[in-house]
Amino acid sequence: MKNYIKSIISLTVIIALVTVALAATNYVTAPIIEKNAGAAANEALLVVMPDGGDFTPVDMTQYTLPESVLEAYTASNGGCVVKLSATGYGPDMIIMCGVDADGNVTGAVCLSSNETLGAEKTYGDTLKGAKIDTVEDIATVSGATMTTGAYKGAVKDALNTAIILGGGSVDIRTPEQILADNLAVALPAGDGKFTSMFICEVLENVSAVYSADNEKGLVFVTKSGEEDLFVGVDENGAVVSNVPDDVKTNIENAAKIMMASKLTEVDISGYDNMPANVDKVSKTESGNYVIEVHASGWGMGIGDEAQYDPNLSNEPIYIKVAMTKDGKIISCITVKQAETEGLGSVCANPDFYTQYNGKDETNYKDIAISGATFTTKGYRTGVGKAFEAVKILEGVA
Amino acid sequence: MSKQNNMSILLKGLLRENPVFVLILGTCPTLATTSTVDGALGMGLATMAVLICSNIVISLLRKFIPDTVRIPCYIVVIAGFVTIVQMLIQAFIPDLYKTLGVYLALITVNCIILGRAEMFAGKNSVGKSALDGIGMGIGFTIALLSMSIIREVIGTGSFAGNEISFLVENGLTIGFLAKAPGGLLVYGLLIAVVNKITKGKLIKKKEFSCAGCPSAEACNGSCAEAVKEGE
Repeated sequence: MKNYIKSIISLTVIIALVTVALAATNYVTAPIIEKNAGAAANEALLVVMPDGGDFTPVDMTQYTLPESVLEAYTASNGGCVVKLSATGYGPDMIIMCGVDADGNVTGAVCLSSNETLGAEKTYGDTLKGAKIDTVEDIATVSGATMTTGAYKGAVKDALNTAIILGGGSVDIRTPEQILADNLAVALPAGDGKFTSMFICEVLENVSAVYSADNEKGLVFVTKSGEEDLFVGVDENGAVVSNVPDDVKTNIENAAKIMMASKLTEVDISGYDNMPANVDKVSKTESGNYVIEVHASGWGMGIGDEAQYDPNLSNEPIYIKVAMTKDGKIISCITVKQAETEGLGSVCANPDFYTQYNGKDETNYKDIAISGATFTTKGYRTGVGKAFEAVKILEGVA
Repeated sequence: MSKQNNMSILLKGLLRENPVFVLILGTCPTLATTSTVDGALGMGLATMAVLICSNIVISLLRKFIPDTVRIPCYIVVIAGFVTIVQMLIQAFIPDLYKTLGVYLALITVNCIILGRAEMFAGKNSVGKSALDGIGMGIGFTIALLSMSIIREVIGTGSFAGNEISFLVENGLTIGFLAKAPGGLLVYGLLIAVVNKITKGKLIKKKEFSCAGCPSAEACNGSCAEAVKEGE
């Protein structure tokens, strides 16, 4: 018993002495360690803003900042440094961006990422000096569209953050949020749930149509000067948005056409010269065609449509094209693709395929994806075969 | 304490009982921190500081610490000193702190330190224990330095972070040596060199028996019996 007590006392005394020694060391070193950590953090911030001086962390709860902003610091020179997350070719890009008091980017650097190229840390150099109205004009790094795009998005958010921290007001909604808000305002009866429609009729001055998921009507996107105008139409075809009379008349006509539009499948089995790429053809009552085609892009590992083999696991590009009987594209959409992420996969982006709207056989080959030759070639082949199909169906081939 | 004895205690760690090349202790930090000379020197000096301080304190407390709780007491003292060294390095040499990373905290479980506490400091005077700590610490540092010089110079073509352009430009580096398997290879080769120089006479057979075991007193030969019986 005596030995047990002696053991307990000895161990307790030793632990107490060690604790005192540790506390004393911590008392001396803690402020220095904290100062070192602050200096290291300051040094990282100075990389993107060499003239920043001292930095003060921003209380993020006091402001409504873009979602991508992780941390923000105000610099003693009046600028600010913002740390943001972005998604490039891979997720989790952490980007640090400095913005001076005049709203110019002083530097942008990638702190960590899963990007495949490895050189992405230097891409921020191309954005030095950019302002909120010029950032979109900066050229992308060839072969790194997604990564540069992520940089641009992050830098834009940083510039907006600088404006907000400076007391300004900025619309920080994402393009998707802006679209959703515009649709909801145009047709409140739609309950905020809309689906983009594939346009297969010729509509004057209409760039897009959305249908309410609850079938309470449609929203047409038309132009009013430089701005997109969202016009709601109820299930009876009456315009519910407050718009000028000429716009109202135009949209009511468009709504009539869309609501009356009916597709009938065309049997193409009897056409011996129909290209193998053509999967399905439908025709509207007004005589327009909707042609569904496939073509081999990079996803097939080949660039020649003749080698298409449906048994291969690789996917071709599936395209749907609406075309007038005289060969003018009304609308085009990429239905499905398995192209290289960040390169050929751009063909699934509306900004890409809507470029075909209004094109005909003389100018559709002008459209290309930078850094994705196989995808571009495949897409051109697919759209070209759609033109060929219409000519065959119209008996002019 | 005779002069000869003191010198002998101080020098034995350098070669005769070198913790790395002869006693084969502290292998983990040896392999992990010897890819660069800076890291090896930092680890060697940090370990030496802990070794000296823990040897002194354990020797001072050796009559106060009951035999049954001596290992927990030693570990508390060692862990305390490791934390103190860690905090000091973090405060005053932050670059070294970053270089050594987790291996700094792992000095706590470095066999050399507990081994010297058990084998030497727990049985000898403060002065001798301090000398033992210094000798073993220098021996450990020299071993780490010799390994790191070979690995960094031949492995990456630099010395203490300074590029040796002759080696790099002429492609005379062997990158493998800077990696963990290369470290093991260099370690084995240096042990072989030490054995060759000393004709393998440094470790006597008895040192691998109960006589050389630091836990012999507590174990009282029971593990040897268990081995014999095939347990």
